[in-house]
Amino acid sequence: MFFRSAVGALCAGLIASSAVAAERIEFMFPAPVQGKLSREMQKLVKEFNSSQSDVEVVGVFTGSYDETKVKSQAAAEAGKPPAVVLMSANFATELAMNDLIVPMEQLAGDTDLGAMMEEFWPAVRPNAHFAGKVYSIPFQNSTPILYYNKEHFAEAGISKAPETWAEWVDAAKKLTKADGERWGIMMPSNYDYNGWLVQALTMANGGQFYNNVYPGEIFYDHASTQGALKFWRDFAHQHKAMPTGVTNSKQVSTAFFSGKASMIVLSTGALTFVRENAKFDYDVAFMPRNIRNSVPIGGASLVSFKGTTNTQKKAAWSFISWLTSAEKIGHWSRFTGYFAPRKTAYDLPEMKKFVSEHPDALRAVEQLAYAGPWIATYNTVAVRKAVEDEMQALLSDPELTFREAAARAQENADKVLAPYAEQTALSLQ
Amino acid sequence: MDTPSKTITRHRIPLRPYLLLLPAFLCLAAFTYWPMLQVFLASLTDKKRAGDAGDFIGIGNYRTIFTEADFLGALANNALYAAGTVIPSVVFGFLFALALRETTNLSAILRSALFFPTLVPLVGAAAIFIFVFMPDIGLLDYYLAKLGLSATNWLGDPDLALISLMALTTWKNAGYYMLFFLAGLQGVPQDAEEAAKIEGANWLQRVYFVIVPMLGPTFAFVVVIALISAVSQVDHVIVMTEGGPNNATNLLLYYIYQQAHEFYDLGKATAATVVTLILLLTLSFLSLRTMERKVHYET
Repeated sequence: MFFRSAVGALCAGLIASSAVAAERIEFMFPAPVQGKLSREMQKLVKEFNSSQSDVEVVGVFTGSYDETKVKSQAAAEAGKPPAVVLMSANFATELAMNDLIVPMEQLAGDTDLGAMMEEFWPAVRPNAHFAGKVYSIPFQNSTPILYYNKEHFAEAGISKAPETWAEWVDAAKKLTKADGERWGIMMPSNYDYNGWLVQALTMANGGQFYNNVYPGEIFYDHASTQGALKFWRDFAHQHKAMPTGVTNSKQVSTAFFSGKASMIVLSTGALTFVRENAKFDYDVAFMPRNIRNSVPIGGASLVSFKGTTNTQKKAAWSFISWLTSAEKIGHWSRFTGYFAPRKTAYDLPEMKKFVSEHPDALRAVEQLAYAGPWIATYNTVAVRKAVEDEMQALLSDPELTFREAAARAQENADKVLAPYAEQTALSLQ
Repeated sequence: MDTPSKTITRHRIPLRPYLLLLPAFLCLAAFTYWPMLQVFLASLTDKKRAGDAGDFIGIGNYRTIFTEADFLGALANNALYAAGTVIPSVVFGFLFALALRETTNLSAILRSALFFPTLVPLVGAAAIFIFVFMPDIGLLDYYLAKLGLSATNWLGDPDLALISLMALTTWKNAGYYMLFFLAGLQGVPQDAEEAAKIEGANWLQRVYFVIVPMLGPTFAFVVVIALISAVSQVDHVIVMTEGGPNNATNLLLYYIYQQAHEFYDLGKATAATVVTLILLLTLSFLSLRTMERKVHYET
């Protein structure tokens, strides 16, 4: 081991001393959906490296979204800030607040960032900005979407996907078979997914969920979120159309593939995964609405940590602009099922051909017209966990009321937000 | 000046042993005591992230965590988890060793089979057990269904999730502890057992009155390492439940991890670390003391 690293150091030294040295940068990326994605990403990295000789990108697979945040911060703390990280889109805000990532203008050189962002869908822009500056470039984005088993629908005599919450409940009840033989509806309630879906239901219920211009406020103990908590809880305890307790996304997709669940809510990022594994006729539909059609954005964007050298920044930008080009972003979208955040990707002939062959891929894009930003506050994960814990408790405990749960979620989240509020909105002369 | 007299040199502190100990001490100081001191000092500040200096706030962090439901919950969960893993895995380890004490072809195979889970890394075992515990379609429910039992949400039910993790840990550790008991049993003198046999003691009496007391040091050692593993292992929590549902499986180390890396509160994380360390040291000390007192020494 020592010998190998010594040789490695020697080689690195030799390479560095030669005049045409490639600038080596690290690129950390998660693969939240499945292992195939990380292999494809390494392929893209290789393609980039062989396409030019100035920059050598080292791809580092870092697990889930939350783990990627932890690992990239740890690397930065250890004095090795990663030049490019594919980060959960909503974490850019707190990373920027904590002064851990740099605004893209420091990387972009002559590129007109304003014009570049115009090429991205309006819905993905708010999460990319903080304090008026672009801090991240969207790469893979998603929204929650309803997948349903058309064969089960036909069998239950339901002719179309539910569009309203009333129709949704009705369909779920009709599709459910007794004794857990088949569930009408399943949704992942593990951490991260949980908060995203509570936000989706809250938005469909007319709410805003969090203050998306001031990161120190969250609206849990408000009617729109209360209604969302109750609606989700009722599927399990009142309509008995969903299993009780916490169900993770693996269980949800497995249940759908094995015909144990007729409708599921998952990310559009799982579209290719579902297409490859569902051995029956399925389709996707908009998330049903109560007050309005609305969903939060999900997915990940590219950020760059503070503390890199100017040449590394330049190298990072050449990789970021290559990876987020309409062509590559479109390729990634077709491979994964995430929608391409860059609008211009859909003008390319390969993309036009693909969406005409797979109209389900277009549903996520259509839903974008109704999408809004994803929860991004001071200390996002802790704030999010406050409502996730209560949602999990509601799904497990039939005695717990949604009002109690919402009040406690608010109380705990406010405690997390308090230091920020004290320093900002409550800091008065 | 006179040469120093013999009496003085004899009273002088001998240098050589300390010089010999110095390299080991330096390593320990640099990699164990110094970090421990730093953790302790950080726990007295409101440090948010590494690199942040933080202001001195005395015992503020300790006061906060001891009034916080999440920390107290993690403490209670960890106590339950320790009791629910240490006792069964030590008992099973002992019973396996007792049953497989004689070396035969069959017992060699069985020993390897029982030892096998130890070789699987915890994170790998956890990934496999996600599918074992999967409601309805998982391995466990598949066989339970044959017995007429309906689907159970093993990891998604707050009342069952911690018990499921305990079962995994017991499965994983019992075979490891068996090894220590097998070694300990080699040291139990045959004549003591034979004497008991001649006196008419039955199997249970021989185990209880002869073997268990003689294995005192083994029990003490195994209980201590089992306790340490109950506090220091967190892979399965990260892989299987992330502390959920609703914090039902949030153990101390996971709480510390969350505070430090997800919630940006190093002060609280280090305070919780100090509390955990003190608890662990006290427990280890107490169990070593009480169990070693029961040690049987040859007359």
